[in-house]
Amino acid sequence: MADMQTDEVARYGRWLKRSVGTAFRIGVGSAAGELLWADGNDAAPLASALATCIALPHDGSEGMRRQEADNATAYTCPIKLPAGAGDGWLLALPDRETPPTGIELNDLAETMADVATTLADGSRLNTEMDVLAAELAERYEELHLFYDIDRHLAKRDLGTEVLQDLLRTCAEQLNADVACFVRPAENITVSATNLSKPIHNLDLVLVEMRGDLFRFVSSSRSSVVINGMDDSRRAYIFTDMPYKVLACPVFQGLDMPAMLTLLNHADKPDFSNSDRRLGEVMAHQIANVMHMGEMFAQMRRFTEQMAAALIEAVEAKDPYTRGHSERVHLFSLRLGQALRLRNEELENLHWGSLLHDVGKIGIPDAVLCKPGRLTADEFTFIKVHPERSYEILRHVDRLKGAIDGARHHQEKFDGSGYPHGLRGNDIPLLARIIAVADTYDSITSSRAYRAGSTHEAAVKEMQRVRGTQLDPELLDIFLGLCEDDPALLAKLGIRRETGDL
Amino acid sequence: MKRLLVVDDEPHVARVLRVSLAKEGWAIEVAHNGTEALALIAANPPDVMITDIQMPGMGGEELCRKLHASMPDRPFPILVMTSMTALDQRNWARELGDIEFLEKPVSPRRVAATLTQLLERKNNDG
Repeated sequence: MADMQTDEVARYGRWLKRSVGTAFRIGVGSAAGELLWADGNDAAPLASALATCIALPHDGSEGMRRQEADNATAYTCPIKLPAGAGDGWLLALPDRETPPTGIELNDLAETMADVATTLADGSRLNTEMDVLAAELAERYEELHLFYDIDRHLAKRDLGTEVLQDLLRTCAEQLNADVACFVRPAENITVSATNLSKPIHNLDLVLVEMRGDLFRFVSSSRSSVVINGMDDSRRAYIFTDMPYKVLACPVFQGLDMPAMLTLLNHADKPDFSNSDRRLGEVMAHQIANVMHMGEMFAQMRRFTEQMAAALIEAVEAKDPYTRGHSERVHLFSLRLGQALRLRNEELENLHWGSLLHDVGKIGIPDAVLCKPGRLTADEFTFIKVHPERSYEILRHVDRLKGAIDGARHHQEKFDGSGYPHGLRGNDIPLLARIIAVADTYDSITSSRAYRAGSTHEAAVKEMQRVRGTQLDPELLDIFLGLCEDDPALLAKLGIRRETGDL
Repeated sequence: MKRLLVVDDEPHVARVLRVSLAKEGWAIEVAHNGTEALALIAANPPDVMITDIQMPGMGGEELCRKLHASMPDRPFPILVMTSMTALDQRNWARELGDIEFLEKPVSPRRVAATLTQLLERKNNDG
């Protein structure tokens, strides 16, 4: 009676004992011959009656029977448990010199039948509850998986990192050695491990997945589970890979571009139906992540291309400024990273520095490309360009945080700049960063009216305006960065006075 | 057999754990509140205890505080079940120290993995 708890069996035993009084000794035994409960101290006679009872042939009838063995009389009553749970027995041994009367035996038979039925009912309910509890346990697993997925997706941008996180969750939740995402057409394999013991040739295993296993899942268009090492499919898929496999297709519309695979060492438990269901849930979520990721990338690409088009429009006006926005962007981000700006601020700096000169679109070519000094009138045109940048960029919601960087990059630290004459820390940080980068590139790059100066000349000139035009702290950090990374300057073709770079 | 004491006033938690952990060789004992748990622990300390927080009578927090006070060398690890979202419930347990957490509703797989880890750590420590 695997499903009866010992304390419950004892309760039924005591009930039977109370009903029959001192005329009988009572015991409860399992079909396997184990005496689960016995009244009194000496259990041996009851145990031997149980052994006799089990050895006798049974016709499956219900109710009490009398059995004789070794000069001992015993009364037995079968407990009919649900199929598979095994039967049990109630036992009664006469416990006095005089044999039991007919009335006593009638009472015993009735009570035994009642107790056997109730015990069986209780046991059946117990079994059913256990089945429900097992079901509930699986629902809990799904709930946890969903919750984890939700947590990962809420956390940050979509990309390989999220995928990696999801796979790790998957490997942990399903207690699998390896969780792997394979997308052969794009040559993508992302995996996470939760190894119970090492896999020496993991790379090889991962490569192998892209072949026959992927094609097999792709053609069956449903999950594939291979547990047994002697599974006949192993002859032609995943040959010589001694792992248990659960592979779930990842659909996009009707296509199956990718697959989620879980692997376990041969000594781990088989992949179950519940594992398969969870794997499919996971594959479905990965499909969503992929879809969102692709939309995200598309949007990002579109934004970058629009920005590139804008920059192209500015730089087309003055070929000598070609690459200026790109270089200012590069220097600004270096400086931003050195300042450990938050990701959101870096994003604003990214756009602000790339687009800082967009307002130059409004400056007449004759002014913008004029070699030599500008007249006061001409310089007025120049001075409106940051405000123009603002007017152009303010139409784009995503650039809200970036606008200030572009609008105020011509302010000077002592308040003598334009357009608003802001001073010191009143100038937005991003604008002060862009100002440093912009000044450096203006000095070192070639213009319509002069060749680019050397790095050393730029340093000298910038030191001269340290604290008046440029934020002194930012300047120091920037010059430090240049010192630390001469290779960058060389790559950008900036001349050095030492001449050996 | 490894013995797990589950302290929870809701019987289904213990049942879910019993059904799913039996395969892994765990025997489950149940206490319905802190008082019952203390009595069971005094009679025969389990290998691991899992407790809920909100219970009629003595709750999980008081139970843990009592155990910390009365058993400085507590021979078994404690896992406290907290809701998935209410992470601030954990502060008192952090103060007490040496208490791990489980998210409710409990995931039997996770419990099984955590139990194995805890026992390995205990064995490694001596």
